[in-house]
Amino acid sequence: MIGYIHSIETLGTVDNGGIRYVLFLQGCALHCRFCHNPDTWLQKGQPVTIQEIIDQLKEYKPFFDLSGGGLTVSGGEPLLQHLFVKELYIEAGKLGIHRALDTAGYCRRGNMLEVLPHTDLVLFSLKVVDPEKHRKLTDTGNEEILKNLALTAASPVELVIRYVLIPTVNDTNEDISNLIRLVKSFPRPVPIEVLPYHKMGSAKWEQLGLCDPLKNIPPASTEQVVALRDRLKRNGIPLH
Amino acid sequence: MSVALEQDSYRGFRGTLWRNEIDVRDFILSNFTPYTGDASFLAGPTERTQKLWERCRELLAEEQRRGGVYKIDIHTVSTITAFRPGYIDRDLEIIVGLQTDEPLKRAVNPFGGIRMAIKACQQYGEELDPEIVKIFTKYRATHNEGVFRVYTREMRRLRHFGIITGLPDAYGRGRIMGDYRRVPLYGVDRLIAAKEADLNSPPLLRIKSEEIIRLREEVRQQITALHELKKMAEAYGYDIGRPAANAREAIQWLYFAYLAAIKQQNGAAMSLGRVSTFLDIYIERDLGEGVLTEEQAQELLDDFVIKLRMTRQLRTREYYELFAGDPNWVTESIGGIALDGRPLVTKTSFRMLQTLYNMGPAPEPNLTVLWAQALPRGFKEFCAKVSVDTCSLQYENDDLMRPIFGDDYAIACCVSAMRLGKQMQFFGARSNLAKCLLLTLNGGREEFSGEQVAPRVYQAGPGVLRFEEIWPAFQKMVAWLAEKYVDTMNIIHYMHDRYFYEELEMALHDTVVDRLMAFGLAGLSVVADSLSAIKYAQVEPLFDERGIITDFKITGDYPKYGNNDDRVDSIAVAVVKLFDTELKKHPAYRGAKHTLSILTITSNVVYGKKTGSTPDGRRSGEPFAPGANPMHGRDTRGAIAALSSVAKIPYEHALDGISYTFSITPEALGRTGDVMISNLIALLDGYFVKGGHHLNVNVFNRELLIDAMEHPEKYPQLTIRVSGYAVNFVKLTREQQEEVIRRTIFARGLA
Repeated sequence: MIGYIHSIETLGTVDNGGIRYVLFLQGCALHCRFCHNPDTWLQKGQPVTIQEIIDQLKEYKPFFDLSGGGLTVSGGEPLLQHLFVKELYIEAGKLGIHRALDTAGYCRRGNMLEVLPHTDLVLFSLKVVDPEKHRKLTDTGNEEILKNLALTAASPVELVIRYVLIPTVNDTNEDISNLIRLVKSFPRPVPIEVLPYHKMGSAKWEQLGLCDPLKNIPPASTEQVVALRDRLKRNGIPLH
Repeated sequence: MSVALEQDSYRGFRGTLWRNEIDVRDFILSNFTPYTGDASFLAGPTERTQKLWERCRELLAEEQRRGGVYKIDIHTVSTITAFRPGYIDRDLEIIVGLQTDEPLKRAVNPFGGIRMAIKACQQYGEELDPEIVKIFTKYRATHNEGVFRVYTREMRRLRHFGIITGLPDAYGRGRIMGDYRRVPLYGVDRLIAAKEADLNSPPLLRIKSEEIIRLREEVRQQITALHELKKMAEAYGYDIGRPAANAREAIQWLYFAYLAAIKQQNGAAMSLGRVSTFLDIYIERDLGEGVLTEEQAQELLDDFVIKLRMTRQLRTREYYELFAGDPNWVTESIGGIALDGRPLVTKTSFRMLQTLYNMGPAPEPNLTVLWAQALPRGFKEFCAKVSVDTCSLQYENDDLMRPIFGDDYAIACCVSAMRLGKQMQFFGARSNLAKCLLLTLNGGREEFSGEQVAPRVYQAGPGVLRFEEIWPAFQKMVAWLAEKYVDTMNIIHYMHDRYFYEELEMALHDTVVDRLMAFGLAGLSVVADSLSAIKYAQVEPLFDERGIITDFKITGDYPKYGNNDDRVDSIAVAVVKLFDTELKKHPAYRGAKHTLSILTITSNVVYGKKTGSTPDGRRSGEPFAPGANPMHGRDTRGAIAALSSVAKIPYEHALDGISYTFSITPEALGRTGDVMISNLIALLDGYFVKGGHHLNVNVFNRELLIDAMEHPEKYPQLTIRVSGYAVNFVKLTREQQEEVIRRTIFARGLA
């Protein structure tokens, strides 16, 4: 089976999950206004086979074993190529390699269901809870996304919600209350990882001839991140 | 020496073999105390250390202000006993000894070449004493003169055009490590007696060949040097005829031995060996006897390291530019595992690294960790932390070297392993294989001058280059070059032995010594990528009116070395095997075994300057990647892929070492200090499990380097690893700084 990739990073470390082989799949329909990889939106990319990736994973296995790392499939939106991801995860699972899925959950429910049973960890990137705001921040509402998140929370797969704190955009009192309420509605405790919005993606927007819609939004400060983390903690939400 | 005195020196020591014969390894294995804990026991600098180091920093700043050389003694030829004792601050020093009578004052050593000495003096505004010039031109030949008497026209041309470069034919060859530990353990008197006994042993009494006559003369010279060493120490008020009786004496005796070596020789790399765990035995004994505290033990190490940081040789400006400052490759190898499975890590392994905190980072001594999977976790963690904090460490694969070199080897220079006291090497710099590829394509003509310097084994015509033609032609050219290279080396080392013999260093070797001849290969990634481009893309040469290729037109993409892609990595492997195999076809001087390194030091910039455009798309004059590094910016799949490519280069075909200089931003290594350390450990373990040989680790941001380039005064001690050694970043030339900044620094925002 063929997958279409944007790039490969063999030393991914930001997940605190050891040394990770990160496969960036091409294509995403969400078009987040704060995307730091807008070059992955388009539906083209370099074709690779499952076998090619598996051969590489075998070679890197010592690094995974020594660091507690593994494979992360990211994007783009990896669930747009769910059959490729599913088969890749099945094969990686046979090698005993840890499989993380870095998704925004914007896909059909069926896609999610195909992949989840073969996944060890879902890093679910939630943009904002309010559907109206979501519509402004991306190209779409988040009804499907929230369903997929609930679905994941109801499954036995380890789940972490990633929330990029974008000052003035998704960090109002109401935004955070919504977030807390949502996470509390799940049948199990789900940890949240708060990530500060950064400006490193701006250059890519320019390179692509696009106008960065968040050009005037400042990066999130450490204080803002700490304050949000504290608030989540006070509300009994585990932090990642 | 009285029996009582020797018994006192050896009180509490176990083992017998080492008492009966010269066997430092047996002494270490019989007496060392492995340490498996963490770094929490370490002591900071004492007030005395801080004061002394502050004084040194003032001197070092003054040296910088004076253009890199503090002072030259133009009237004295450097020998072991040429200078009166010198001190930095006599009241503050607990380990004493300087190369001359003043700190940082450089001595003249004309034995390697008088012209170099004259030029170096001139370039720093001095004129070498005419009497010295007269002696070394009229009455006595130098190594340099000897070599040029014998060089063929062909060799001169290969040298002139930079096809074989950096040859040690005008100064000391270096890379020879005396086993300096023998002096504290046995005392000089015992070592002299052992050499006298060798001289009167049957093999040296049967005068059946020139080799035996020569060896007899050499051993006699060695004995003379040992007497001089003793005299030098006497001038400082120490009798090192007897063994050292405590930790302070052990360090002092050992340092005297090293000091005598660097007074006698100005070799490029004058490495220290593997002394930390040896010294630990004395420190442990003193701690046990209650005559030394941890703070005092650290203070001894700190003072010793201060001395090593102050070693200087007089070089020409070109040399400083080539090697970026003042490297002496005072390499100290730390750690490793004994053949019996015990880690050779002791508390003094930690104390040696701790000097980087107590006095701040520095390029010297060149601290080299012999990494093994089975090293204690606490030591691995401390090493990784030191790397992240100081960028001052390099790592070499003990699991790879131990089966070949045993458990008492050390690294000379950057990556050259040798059994201490048992093996020496004939250093041979390197040959530029990228240029050799251009010679192949140009029918043996040099690409800038158009001169015929090599045979015409092939001539590229117009149109797309065909790999099936070029690879066999390149093989022929490499075969031709390998023969010339071995011949050139044979001349150089014959003459060095004759005119600039390392009397003291060889006195601290066994009399019958194993010899290695170390060749080098530069431009590996350029050659691999060029051949890959020819094989997988469409490469057309463009010619000038002389019919010389000036550039290449490349259509399509090709696999690039550094992305763990076997299509090109296998080409890199084949090139290394080819060169090694061809070199071994030609006998080396004095029965030496051929070895090969993939190492450029900082000269990758100069090699690039002297090499025209290559088929990989590299422009004429652009720097090569250093050592076995992938070309800058072509390794696009992240660090682990790049490490995996380099790890494929077979060590058995490059036994003199495979250097990879690796830079990464702190963020790319992990978000918190603990995660960075555990990821760096996994990265090292993984690379070495896959067969990697050497790794320089730099952890920094490009922005920091750019700021240091603009504001050097803010970063006097900023140290970075360049290629098997470290440098003060601010001492690099602008060109070298820019090249370092252009190198791949693994960093990727993934969050």
